[in-house]
Amino acid sequence: MNTTALEASSLSRRYGSTWALQDCSLSLPTARVIALVGPNGAGKTTLLHLATGLLQPTSGSIRVLGEVPGADPGILGRVGFVAQEMPLYRNFTVAEMLRFGAQLNPTWDQDLAVGRLESLSIPLAQKVGTLSGGQRGQVSLAIALAKRPELLLLDEPLASLDPLARRDFLAALMESVAEHGVSVVLSSHLVSDLERVCDHLVVLRNGRVAVAGDIAGLIRTHRLVSGPRHTGALGGVGEVIDRTDTDRQTVALVRTDGPILDPAWVVREVDLEEIVLGYLGAREGSSAPADPTLRAVRSAHSEVGS
Amino acid sequence: MIWLTWRQHRAQALATLIGIGAIGVLLLITGPRIASAFHELHACLVVPGQDCSLLRESFDQRFNGLGFLVPVFIVVPLLMGVFLGAPLIAREVEQGTHRLAWTQSVTRGRWALTKIGLVSAFTVAAAGLFAWMVSKWSWPLVAASDDRFGFGVFDLRGITPIAYAMFALALGTAVGALVRKTLPAMAITLGGFVAVRAVVELLLRPRYLPAQTISYSFLQESPRAGLGDWILRSRVFDPTGHFVSSNGNISVNPSVLAQACPGIPSTPGFGGKDEVGRCLTRLGVKIVDTYQPGSRYWLFQGIESAIFLLLAAGLVVLAMWLIRRRIS
Repeated sequence: MNTTALEASSLSRRYGSTWALQDCSLSLPTARVIALVGPNGAGKTTLLHLATGLLQPTSGSIRVLGEVPGADPGILGRVGFVAQEMPLYRNFTVAEMLRFGAQLNPTWDQDLAVGRLESLSIPLAQKVGTLSGGQRGQVSLAIALAKRPELLLLDEPLASLDPLARRDFLAALMESVAEHGVSVVLSSHLVSDLERVCDHLVVLRNGRVAVAGDIAGLIRTHRLVSGPRHTGALGGVGEVIDRTDTDRQTVALVRTDGPILDPAWVVREVDLEEIVLGYLGAREGSSAPADPTLRAVRSAHSEVGS
Repeated sequence: MIWLTWRQHRAQALATLIGIGAIGVLLLITGPRIASAFHELHACLVVPGQDCSLLRESFDQRFNGLGFLVPVFIVVPLLMGVFLGAPLIAREVEQGTHRLAWTQSVTRGRWALTKIGLVSAFTVAAAGLFAWMVSKWSWPLVAASDDRFGFGVFDLRGITPIAYAMFALALGTAVGALVRKTLPAMAITLGGFVAVRAVVELLLRPRYLPAQTISYSFLQESPRAGLGDWILRSRVFDPTGHFVSSNGNISVNPSVLAQACPGIPSTPGFGGKDEVGRCLTRLGVKIVDTYQPGSRYWLFQGIESAIFLLLAAGLVVLAMWLIRRRIS
């Protein structure tokens, strides 16, 4: 079995004159639940569409499970995809949606699909259009899982769900990950939801990879340091990812391999959300002001987190 | 895929069949009456040289009211294309379900070809049934009028309605893949279909093969009458310049006639029709018809159908390219 779920090399995609994804190089391991995080417009959907073969790269290359995405029925069958807004044929019944899946996938597992939906008390005879958002999400997930994919790509699956449905959706997802060993890439602009379920992180920002890695490793190597206001460069704290200077204080997210020994700094461990926000808020050049939209996203995240 | 295509398009398919069924009932009701009325006229027409103009007139008058059916029938192939073709891709993209369909274990090329193929097969069958019904029903009307090439006749009978329906279907599919919204795709399909049909009907069809000409004497019936020719133009040729005015009006001046042919009295009511005709022939006045021979009917049907089927094939290629390369 291939040990790389997704491999991108200098992957770029342009719409007209706008780069949705630029020079993106990634190697995502299998048997993980990978969070793909970034504000709206960061390129998450573009990356997932490239990984399903819905889109073709403008330049660079992408492989999923070692193959060109969408090139033939073989690789199409090995990758499950739930698109944004979780599209379904609204005038189909749930049973007809399953029949759709059965006809288009030779590896279809009808028992798995029916079993899942019955355990969730979703009536098979009901029209998809009359289901709640959470139920539609579960039907979408059941269809994606019943084709027995090795890799499951989910584009903002939580965005349209209320908190309860969100919890149920993630529980269902985790259950099948445990049961079938499927690799998952899950995009979201809400970090707090992903913290419990993901073990690998990719942060996209303005069409580029801001950071990617194992979440435990990222948490181990990042620290939040605070101290009296500094004006120059910060020394002895490792690589500064993001830094906020107020009138009296300087707070910075830093990446470091060893301990920070300088007693001028108060050092604190970070959580996933702080890492994501740090990378999203990071200034790209030393003097360039941060993108105001990113700041807005950042404050939105802070609200969600609080 | 067969089930899926049926499930997604069964409403349109059923509506199409109901529409054709309703037309069928209408034709079954009116058909026998037309056929029996024509029987009488036909008995006259088969006798050479017999004057059937009165019978023909009464036959025409009796069934003139059916003229309203022509515009109804004319739009049937178009409606098939608009309602089956335009939503085929556009609705999927509009609702985002193409992303669901194209990420199952079937390549989108096969998905699209299967759908287009099945809907095309249905369209050929439905349009074929429609064209066969109308051809059979309208046979007496066409035989009575001796016009098989005109608007509302040539394009409702034979095989052309099938080709139009295929063209409309392919146009709807391609436009839908291009604009990706069902209603605008329907509107553009409608406009495009009418434009292409009009260009072919008015500009191309009379020129599929070089037209032939025949001249015959004034006041006589064309020797090609009853052969089902398509008369494109009929002009009076007058070497004397006395009988046809510059604006094309014909006025037979009795005094001029009497001068040329001394046997004809110069007063009004100037002699018999045959006498005047012989005189005019001697003077070189004749009618020149430009026409497409009736024997070319099926050749023309074939050429016109081939044009629309080729356009349809090109549009399917365009739609496939859009689906594979431009939609995500």
